[in-house]
This record gives sequence, C-alpha cells and structure tokens, in this order.
Amino acid sequence: MRTVESEIGAILAGSISEITQRSIFRRLGGMARAPLQHLTTQDRHAIQTELESSVRLFAPAKSAQLIASCARALALLGAPGGPADPYPGSSLPAGPFAVHRSGTHDGRTAPTGSTGSPAMGGDKRLAIDSEKDIASARLEAWAEAVRIGLSKFTSVKVATAVSELARNIVFYAGRGTIELRPRQDTRETRLEIVAADQGSGIEPEKLDAIFAGTFRSERGLGKGLVAVQKLVDEFQIDTRPGRGTRVSCVFRGAR
Amino acid sequence: MKLRDEQELPIIRVRGCLLVSIQTELHDRLAIELRSALMERVRLEAIRGVILDVSWVEVIDSYITRILNDIGKSVRFMGADCYMVGIRPAVAMTLVEMGVELDAVSTALSLDAALEKLELPR
Repeated sequence: MRTVESEIGAILAGSISEITQRSIFRRLGGMARAPLQHLTTQDRHAIQTELESSVRLFAPAKSAQLIASCARALALLGAPGGPADPYPGSSLPAGPFAVHRSGTHDGRTAPTGSTGSPAMGGDKRLAIDSEKDIASARLEAWAEAVRIGLSKFTSVKVATAVSELARNIVFYAGRGTIELRPRQDTRETRLEIVAADQGSGIEPEKLDAIFAGTFRSERGLGKGLVAVQKLVDEFQIDTRPGRGTRVSCVFRGAR
Repeated sequence: MKLRDEQELPIIRVRGCLLVSIQTELHDRLAIELRSALMERVRLEAIRGVILDVSWVEVIDSYITRILNDIGKSVRFMGADCYMVGIRPAVAMTLVEMGVELDAVSTALSLDAALEKLELPR
C-alpha cells in the first residue's frame, strides 16, 4: 500500500534524517498512514504545505527540488493523470505555495518579497554560552516579536519558548546558538526560531519518551521541549546522538 | 535590563507571613538559597504563610514554574501555606497553553487578597 509516509519518506531519505522525518509525519497525524488514493485534494494541499515548511527548515540547500518531488508524488500517485491533479506538470504548484518561491526563506537576509511587502530586518543569531544568556535571549526574542508586530500575548509566548530552548542548550549542551528569523509575506508575519547545539543529542527512544510524556529528567528537559511544542505553530526537532540537536519552530501572526 | 543575580532575595515579614518579591532571574543557586531561608524562618517564627510576588516577572517558563512549585511543596511540608500573587495575564495564559502544573502553590489576585485568605481561620 502506498502511503504518504512510504512515498515521501523515499524522497526525503538521504536529505532529512529519519528522526526528523518521523516528527514531520507525526505532525500529519492520520494522513501520513492513509492510502494515497484516499486523500482529497484539500488533504494533499495541507500535506504539501506542511512538507514545504519542514523541507525549507531541514534541507534548505535542496528544498526546491525536494518540494517539487513531493508535489509530484502527492499529485501523480494520488490521482494518476486525473483532472483533480492539483500539481500538473513538473513545475512547482501555484496556489498557496507561490508566495514562498521568492527563495528568500533559505537566505540569511530578510525577504523583500515579490509582492512589495516591507522588509522585516535581518536575522539575529544569539550565542548561548551560560545561564546569563538565557535571560538576555528571551528579552531579545521578546523585543523582536514586538518589533515585527506580533501580538502582546504571542510575544510573551515567543519569549517563553526561547527561554525553554536556551535553557536546554545551557543545561544539556553547554553552548549553542538561537537564531531569530522574521519573515513576512502577503498572508502573515512569521517569526522562525532555530535553536542549535553540538551537544550529545537525544537518543531516539528518549525523544519518543519525551513526546509521549513518559520521560522526566532531573532538570526538566522533557517538560521544556513539550512546552515549546505546545506554544508554537510549527515545531521540528532534528537530533543526532553525539552530533547535536536542532529545534526549529515558528510563531505566526496575522498581517 | 540589568540582572542582579548575585544578590540574595529580600524576605519581608508582614502580618505573620513572609513576602518575597521576585524581581530577578531565578536560577538554581538563588532558588535553593531562597527555599532554605524561607523554611528556616517558617520554623523559627511560626509563620502561617509564604507569599511569592511575581508581578515583576515577565516570563515564567517551565523551569521557573518547577522552582516555584518546589518552594511551595517545601513550605507546605512545614505546615504553612504558599501563595503566588500578581501573575501577569499573558504569563498565566502561556502557562495554561504549556500545560505546566503549579499544584503546590495557591494563587491570589493581589497581596491583599493573599493576606486575607491566609488570615481566615483554617
């Protein structure tokens, strides 16, 4: 049986780690394991949107190619040659994804956008080396959230999430970075937060236990990650034992 | 903002209760010091309640929640009540969304309200 998990998994293999793929498919819920031919056009659009943001975050160098392959797999396998084919041909789909095609998302500079939306200012990279950096990182994140126009409530959530991520870096990896990437398109303002370290990583079994709610560390690593996941609009974790951890998340605000 | 993190938190006695206004970054060492100082005074002065004022705290994450909860638990083991007052609306909503628990600490809208509750006969 061909499912989203099997077909998309084959495309992402080699570009995105298995652990990250699992967290991507977890976000799709039941759709990931449903037979492809049972998916409606709407489902496939939703899946493609999810895959697109994940691919951009985790395989920026190959994102265009992977996104196109995913779109083809979803359309061609789900409705072979039929009129419902949402992504005819080999080009990237128009529709909701067109706004992301300016290519600025992978870059270090802010997008100006083809629609003439105002620039959001550059990305900020914060070094997290000690407990003192936790407080300054969350203040910085808060200021950034307010600056790009996220609501007061969302800005406090941003600061709280950054606080959790910075704490995990200091407690478990010793040092790392948190990047704040403001983005804006015609539909929304987003703040992407990427926390990265070269610490010892998290074992796959431990990661599963954390998100299943059965894992408790002495200083609350599990709680922190789960809390972040509950606060954000998009959440991805990529971790390799011995190599490090990278948590990417997104807060959205209306324009 | 300058963080006064090398400083001990002042504990103020008011109407048979102890009041701590948290205006600085709570970290491990400070939290442990605060907890033992509070417990010592609860024992020596027959304190009926401890009030943690967090109205200056703009962000409370799961780690700080755990520290506050641990302080509450310890104080309760001693036989006193522990109240948290002045929590900001956005902080409260964030804690609810995160699903963190603060079961060892009661809450009150203000210092006055907490003192009133603590003065009721138990």
